[in-house]
Amino acid sequence: MATIDIPVLSLALTFLLFLIPVAISRIFGLKLIKPLFTSTLRMVIQLALIGVFLKYLFIWNNPFVNFGWLVIMIVVAVFSSVKSSSLKMSKIFIPAFASFSTATLLVVFYLNIFIIPLENVFDARYLIVLGGMLLGNSLRGNIVGISTFYRQLKNDTNHYLYVLSLGASHYEALLPYIRESVQLALKPTLAAMATMGIVALPGMMTGVILGGASPELAIKYQILIMVAIVVSTITSVVLTILLTMHVCLNRFGVLRNDVFRKSQAG
Amino acid sequence: MKIDEGDKVVISGKSGSGKSSLLSLALGFVKPDDGQVYFEGLPVDEKTSWNVRRKIAYIDQDVSLGSGRVSKLFEFAAGLKANAHLDFGCSEELINFFELEPSILQKSIQELSGGERQRISIIIAVLLNRNIFFLDEITSSLDKHLKNKVADYFLNRENVTSLIVSHDPVWTEVPSVRIFDFEEKTWQQ
Repeated sequence: MATIDIPVLSLALTFLLFLIPVAISRIFGLKLIKPLFTSTLRMVIQLALIGVFLKYLFIWNNPFVNFGWLVIMIVVAVFSSVKSSSLKMSKIFIPAFASFSTATLLVVFYLNIFIIPLENVFDARYLIVLGGMLLGNSLRGNIVGISTFYRQLKNDTNHYLYVLSLGASHYEALLPYIRESVQLALKPTLAAMATMGIVALPGMMTGVILGGASPELAIKYQILIMVAIVVSTITSVVLTILLTMHVCLNRFGVLRNDVFRKSQAG
Repeated sequence: MKIDEGDKVVISGKSGSGKSSLLSLALGFVKPDDGQVYFEGLPVDEKTSWNVRRKIAYIDQDVSLGSGRVSKLFEFAAGLKANAHLDFGCSEELINFFELEPSILQKSIQELSGGERQRISIIIAVLLNRNIFFLDEITSSLDKHLKNKVADYFLNRENVTSLIVSHDPVWTEVPSVRIFDFEEKTWQQ
């Protein structure tokens, strides 16, 4: 059961569907037409490039190249999650990179070494595809996690200082904020897990089934990937908060103003 | 400016003149641009400020008690490692003393009135069993009778040191209180 190829012309016709959002945008004055087309253009270009790139990556299947690409993926994920927070890239890039790498590599290599009987644990098809899925989800989790953590801490400064004055240690005072942001960051992943198979046939499974494998195998992979996603998301969110904390708070236990980007400071 | 053990000091001055910042400086929440704060003979720095905060009961002018149920806040304060030796059991007595209903413990902090919040923060400050109090506008939402009661509580105890920021005359009526004019930087009384 091979996947049916889509002719390029037909793929182009998919874009006819855009008439609907374009009409909606017109009617309600949403001003979405421009962003819709820029995002689409970016997606098409990026996917076309990555398509070519992945093709060679799979052909070469060189451990160093594969691993190097995974590192680049981590860098990009870190960049976009820091960018969406109000923190300065220069201050928290390193701790965020350390936590993303730890979480992703730990889980990916655990899967590749112990769970999937791979001869080559650096096999591009597994290392890059699994790594990418984990990173995509960690990215989403971290966008919520670090933004919430630092926003709460900043908006809540007076209460936080009051708690310090009650005699709280650094850790005791920050724990409620850590809890709240990690719980919030994990919510979408847990919700997705709980409705899996009913509401959504997830990407991984769709891919495996379309790729010609049996649904049973697709389900096995899906379970594996969901567990991996939850573990790597929670690990990276907690680690990012813990590691950036030391940079963003001074030794008096007070949030430093200079870690926020200019427009956010005050 | 020097404050001795047992002193009751009221800092007076216009709003926005930085009276509250003085308290923040002493607690190590803000670093001084210039000069140095000493507490019990030691400069307040990155290391000592943690200890300073455990010796001073502080109430900020916004009464930033956070959110959640009042009883949870009591539990949180009592549950801190630094407070492990304390007995929060006598909170009901204090609740009565400051004329609140015991049922207030079951209320959520957000639904409390300004006056109730101020009294809850006073009760917690007292339960911390510390001898030094930094009190920033803690009577602003109380009625005359309660203002007197609170001022009396903090001004008439010998072994207690109180540093008070307030516009309320109730604090300065007591002759033993020292008044520091924050704008002139001089003692008035």
